[in-house]
Amino acid sequence: MSLPKPVMRGLLGKRLRFHLPIAFTLSLAAAIAFKYTVTEPRKQAYADFYKQYDATKEFNAMREAGIFESVRPSGE
Amino acid sequence: DSGTGLHHCGEMFRAVFRLSATGARTPVATRCYSHGKVESDEEFDARWVTYFSKPDIDAWELKKGMNTLIGYDLVPEAKILDSALRACRRLNDMASAIRILEAIKDKAGPHKDIYPYLIQELKPTLTELGISTPEELGMDRL
Repeated sequence: MSLPKPVMRGLLGKRLRFHLPIAFTLSLAAAIAFKYTVTEPRKQAYADFYKQYDATKEFNAMREAGIFESVRPSGE
Repeated sequence: DSGTGLHHCGEMFRAVFRLSATGARTPVATRCYSHGKVESDEEFDARWVTYFSKPDIDAWELKKGMNTLIGYDLVPEAKILDSALRACRRLNDMASAIRILEAIKDKAGPHKDIYPYLIQELKPTLTELGISTPEELGMDRL
């Protein structure tokens, strides 16, 4: 009972032809998923925050809290 | 004209993929020539059998040949290994002979049917030259 001759050539090529497209597709899918579940919501959160942001009001609140040295609270 | 050379190289790879898709065997050493024929498997095997058959082959050539051969995307045919083992015999290099057997088992990777087949084909040569397999020496286990 002798063993038949197996395929001995191109084994890595065959494996790569199968796995590389899958690898690239999955990587691309992971990147797209990350973009739309993490980076876009983060960018939107910043945009929403700054849409109604009043810099002068925030500055005055900080001034009254006395954290600046260049300008003292309006009472002093 | 490297532009058309690379273009032909790309076409050749696409042709290679189409060939494999139809189940035809692709030549293993596909080099990107813009001219010249692709070597057939038989020519490749014959070239390597001849390389190891050199009567006055030296230790460096044996090592270089084996390392080059191991770099290809194939497990060498039994006739190439037979020629290499006989070169080991001429060089009184038992260590390299057994190392060759370890190397081809490793080259087969997950394809566990290749190594037993090659041992089967090489058995007459191993017996004639008095080469033990790593399994017989208990060297195949850690």
